[in-house]
Amino acid sequence: MNMERVVFGFVIILALSFTYAFVMGDVTDANHHNVWMLTIAILINLIATGLKLGDRSQVGALMLASSLVVDVLLIAARVLWVVYESETASGPSPESMANIVSLAGGALVASIITVVILVGDTLLSRR
Amino acid sequence: MAVTSELDRVSMVVLRYMRGPIFALIIVYAIGIIGMALIPGQDGENMSLFHAFYFFTYTATTTGFGEIPTAYSDEQRLWAILCIYMGVVAWLYAIGSIFRLVQNPHFLLALNEHRFARAVRRIRRPFFVICGFGDTGSLLARGLSDNWLRGVIIDINPERIKALRLRDYNVTMPGMCADPTVPKHLIDAGIRMPNCKALVILTVDEEINQRIAVLTRLLNPKLRILCRSSSQQAIEHLHSLGNVTIINPFEIFAQLLSMAITAPRLHNLNSCLVRSPDARLGEPIQMPTGDWIICGFGRMGQWVYRHFVQNGIKPVIIDPRAEDVEGAARVIASPANTETLKEAGVDHAAGVVAATDSDHDNLGVLMAVKAMKPDAFTIVRQNSHDHQIAFDAANANLVLQSSLTTARRVLKHLISPQVQVFIEYLRAQGEDICGNTVARLKATVGDQSPHLWQVRITPEEAGAAIEYLRAQQTLTLGEMRRDPHDLDGFIDGIPLSIARDGEQIMLPSDDQPVHEGDEILFSGTEYGEIMLKASLNNIYTLEYLVSGVDRPRGYFFQWLEKRFGRAANTAQADPA
Repeated sequence: MNMERVVFGFVIILALSFTYAFVMGDVTDANHHNVWMLTIAILINLIATGLKLGDRSQVGALMLASSLVVDVLLIAARVLWVVYESETASGPSPESMANIVSLAGGALVASIITVVILVGDTLLSRR
Repeated sequence: MAVTSELDRVSMVVLRYMRGPIFALIIVYAIGIIGMALIPGQDGENMSLFHAFYFFTYTATTTGFGEIPTAYSDEQRLWAILCIYMGVVAWLYAIGSIFRLVQNPHFLLALNEHRFARAVRRIRRPFFVICGFGDTGSLLARGLSDNWLRGVIIDINPERIKALRLRDYNVTMPGMCADPTVPKHLIDAGIRMPNCKALVILTVDEEINQRIAVLTRLLNPKLRILCRSSSQQAIEHLHSLGNVTIINPFEIFAQLLSMAITAPRLHNLNSCLVRSPDARLGEPIQMPTGDWIICGFGRMGQWVYRHFVQNGIKPVIIDPRAEDVEGAARVIASPANTETLKEAGVDHAAGVVAATDSDHDNLGVLMAVKAMKPDAFTIVRQNSHDHQIAFDAANANLVLQSSLTTARRVLKHLISPQVQVFIEYLRAQGEDICGNTVARLKATVGDQSPHLWQVRITPEEAGAAIEYLRAQQTLTLGEMRRDPHDLDGFIDGIPLSIARDGEQIMLPSDDQPVHEGDEILFSGTEYGEIMLKASLNNIYTLEYLVSGVDRPRGYFFQWLEKRFGRAANTAQADPA
């Protein structure tokens, strides 16, 4: 067992779980999506990206790339939330909510790819 | 220079054929367009030159869009009738000429040569030129293709080039039907290109082989030449050219036979390494050394005889052309048949060699021997690849198929020259060391036939190893070939030799350090090759193999390890 693997795997899978937790629910309904959940997901993803820096293997490069995609999409979703929230008093409208959640959904796909690569690399590491 | 003249020839043939039709078309177009532009239309206006050209284009090609842009006057219609007949006839003439052109044999030949030269010029990777695509040539091309190497083929027989086009090789092998004794064809085949690694001459005619070799030496003094030859005179002549490797299948076979008598284990190892289908590792052929009979005293018979005499065997020779031969037990100057075999003492013979240049005679001798002395050791010469099935059924102990022997030896020279040096080294070391090597190999590969491969310690083939070596560390063979699943074990590959700075280190031990630029010859399984290549190209795996510890990959964990020491990072339960 390798501590690096444990910490690394924990952070990456946690990031995926939080993204999923935010996306789950009706796309247009603001009550189903918690802005705190989104913010925490962004934080964990940034930490995961930081942990991936410095790996010189091909797999490491691919993981870093997909992690960066997640960061970009989630941050874009968070910025949209701020913009839409300032427009109305009662939180984002259903149309705006759909935009935010679709972006987070895109991030979810990239997150799943990261986890698949992680699992594949671990299984193929030949030890 | 030669290449441009090829293109000139193609364009010249095209021009000569198309000159008439092109003139006819231009004149007919000119008359039609000018007439149409001059004749007044319904409203008295003339058609513009552009519209006249448009009209003539769709009319002459029989497309016929109708009267565009406005309805025509009767004068215009009259002219249009003329235009239609003129235009269609001119086009038919032109199209007919094109068809005649593409069926012209000179044009086709010139075009083929041009295409071939262009295909060769575009090769960027190393390639070999093969003259002669008979049995040997096609076996050699197949062997090259299996190793993902390119060949460029010239043969004078169009049927053979057609056969080449039907093969499914892993790489494209350009082929041309041409006389290889013409210098221009050799240059087209790329013998002057820097990435042409060798010329292999395999035509059936000794004299043509010599001529090609001499021409090549003149055209490219540095190119390596491999030439099949079995006549003493030709061999001496070829040697004088310099950098020529002679492949004499009969001599090679006789040497192998000699090896089978004096060093059976080495012979067995060699057969396995060249992937001879019948050979099984660790089960050498037992050649009896009693009385031998050689039927046929041609090129093969003489070579076998020479090596028999060296090993103290006095054979009986049966050949109608044979005269008194020194060292032979007896010479029977008549054709080999049941009677002469009996006269030669087949019932107490240890073995029989059927070495005539007729496959049917050889098979006949084989059948007679099987009937009279079933337990005799039989060696047979197979001349034509087409008789393979008959020879398989005859079930001789050893078969010399000269095309196969030649192709194997050429491949050995081209792909892994280390192997031959290694075999010769083992020969000098004696049977015990050879036996140890076979035992080690057998323990690694089990019942499979061993797979040979070469690893070059270069940035392209072993990126991680180079990175590791350049970071001042030393890497030994033993560390390199550890098994990533189990650090106490090794992958399925045994290093046979290392070529370094023109020298070859034989049977290197596991302590042997690896240097940049080494070429290491391995034998083992195909899986072993994949595993070794993976280790040599992944710096993390390589570091793990050497130290037994998974190094932290990311900057954060590297910092953590530096800051808090090893305990913080790795709770390595057990290094295995």
